[in-house]
Amino acid sequence: MLLEVRDLRVEFRTRDGVAKAVNGVDYGVDAGETLAVLGESGSGKSVTAQAVMGILDIPPGRITGGEILFRGQDLLTLKEEERRRIRGAEMAMIFQDALSSLNPVLSVGDQLGEMFVVHRGMSRKDARAKAVELMDRVRIPAAAERVRQYPHQFSGGMRQRIMIAMALALEPALIIADEPTTALDVTVQAQVMELLAELQREYRMGLVLITHDLGVVADVADRIVVMYAGRIVESAPVHDIYKAPAHPYTRGLLDSVPRLDQKGQELYAIKGLPPNLMNIPSGCPFHPRCPMAQDVCRTDVPPLYEVTHAGESDGGRGSACHFWRECLHGLDR
Amino acid sequence: MASTAEPILEVNGLVKHYPLTRGVLSKKQIGAVKAVDGVDFTLDRGETLGIVGESGCGKSTVAKLLVNLEKPTAGEIRYKGEDIGKLSGRALKAVRRNIQMVFQDPYTSLNPRMTVGDIIAEPYDIHPEVAPKGDRRRRVRELLDVVGLNPEYINRYPHQFSGGQRQRIGIARGLALRPEIIVADEPVSALDVSVQAQVINLMAGLQDEFDLSYIFIAHDLSIVRHISDRVGVMYLGRIVEIGRDAEIYDHPTHPYTQALLSAVPVPDPTAREHRERIILVGDVPSPTNIPSGCRFRTRCWKARERCALEVPALAVPAEFRFLAGPESHDSACHFAEEKQVVPEALE
Repeated sequence: MLLEVRDLRVEFRTRDGVAKAVNGVDYGVDAGETLAVLGESGSGKSVTAQAVMGILDIPPGRITGGEILFRGQDLLTLKEEERRRIRGAEMAMIFQDALSSLNPVLSVGDQLGEMFVVHRGMSRKDARAKAVELMDRVRIPAAAERVRQYPHQFSGGMRQRIMIAMALALEPALIIADEPTTALDVTVQAQVMELLAELQREYRMGLVLITHDLGVVADVADRIVVMYAGRIVESAPVHDIYKAPAHPYTRGLLDSVPRLDQKGQELYAIKGLPPNLMNIPSGCPFHPRCPMAQDVCRTDVPPLYEVTHAGESDGGRGSACHFWRECLHGLDR
Repeated sequence: MASTAEPILEVNGLVKHYPLTRGVLSKKQIGAVKAVDGVDFTLDRGETLGIVGESGCGKSTVAKLLVNLEKPTAGEIRYKGEDIGKLSGRALKAVRRNIQMVFQDPYTSLNPRMTVGDIIAEPYDIHPEVAPKGDRRRRVRELLDVVGLNPEYINRYPHQFSGGQRQRIGIARGLALRPEIIVADEPVSALDVSVQAQVINLMAGLQDEFDLSYIFIAHDLSIVRHISDRVGVMYLGRIVEIGRDAEIYDHPTHPYTQALLSAVPVPDPTAREHRERIILVGDVPSPTNIPSGCRFRTRCWKARERCALEVPALAVPAEFRFLAGPESHDSACHFAEEKQVVPEALE
């Protein structure tokens, strides 16, 4: 396993109390694999990624437990300077908002080249040549001229390509992309996702794709983990989860998305609101919004049960629902 | 479309250009941002017209023109047959009362220093004839109830509500004057998926309850299909294709619509393998420098010489004119051709 997150716990101390953002997350990604982390705002999907990258704001954030194994080594035991060597060179991150992630007063060539100067000790001139090469890779037209331009001179889609180029610069083994196409228009989103998927295959990178978009996930992911209130509620190969979700939250999400291919009746709407992280409901955190909730859901936190078919294991599926069988087979409907 | 009744809203040749000037004193005009560049459509009573398009296509400017937040450079907006550009004073005020807007961002469109009750009642300060002073609190409570919020929350402030609840407050404010038309500009795009569905269902329910007509502007094609009776697709300040929802989604004839639809990710991993993607090259041209002829030609895989010379009209293309099928709808393309790009529903 390239990356393995084990029982990770993160909290934020604020004036109003302690927000439990991540409450025991386990996931893993292999080389050449795309893992989608799906969740709504406040689900802990981005905080988990920030902890993996080592860019969490500490304080107010605090990692209170767990391990982050990268090629078998626990990153949480490393010194900051050791982590800095790994960051960028072996794992890189792509953010949602390219305009605010790029430095507005440096040319894109200088920013791309800096990676090679800092990590590889290259000369400015060689680094510039590398920057042009990278811009070609991510198919920015007229790279040799545009390398001198500044971020504001590029369109949103082109800026996101520069972010991808920067992440790829040192050929890392792992890329974490946090909502990489959310700010882009659909036609540009399609271009950027296709590019990202292609480069990932070419370099056999592990890709952790953080998103709220069920459509994007269906397009590129191999496996999905669904997060809610800082926990993983379902984990499965991509085809299984769309065919038959084993957690009522996943099913609710799938049912609440309008379809492009048919005019809908009334949409299914998950009732209520996402939980307050300072005061997460007892038992299963989804129980106040769940149409299947029973007494046991209010008292017992469900573990991630292994989802099996006729007693057989099903490619490593898991569901944190006491009633996953009923959900999987639609028995409650 | 077949209805013979007069449309409640009719837009003809609507244009909004923002001048670009150089110099501090002379203010010499050196060009214009052609945000809206000739838009026509009609809206029937009780109908929802969806307008889709990517950022910069002019859809939000159309919304602002409809509610009179901006003055058109040219063209007319007819409300029940009357050109609102020619109205002033009391007559204009009466029309504005009947066309209300719901904004995109529930975090910035509500004044943080006002209570929810004052926010929703604010339209009554401008149109006091709608509700006498003594009756306003009662009406606000009623509106809160209508949009699914607890009427007891009347004295709370916006920050005490979640995003979805704030959008309900925005909708309640939009309903306060009992308008006939609501222009909603990206009303759910700032919301989480699970909350989006709640707000869309609310809007659909309110439409039936109050006999509202909607202009629903969004970039999300799935949501627009869900709520709209008819859909117009905008590109660089113009509508390039317009028709009933099935005509646009299942039988698109304009290459831009086809590219747009083919790019939408569908929540179905089995569609991955057999789905044809039309990936457009390049970026949208600048609205200060619109290509000659067909404005989509610089990104179109079908473009020929004619496309650079002749502006295609938004009409039923000649080859479909004598057909009665769903491909026979308005499409501004010289080489319109039907192409199915959305995978068929499995159910």
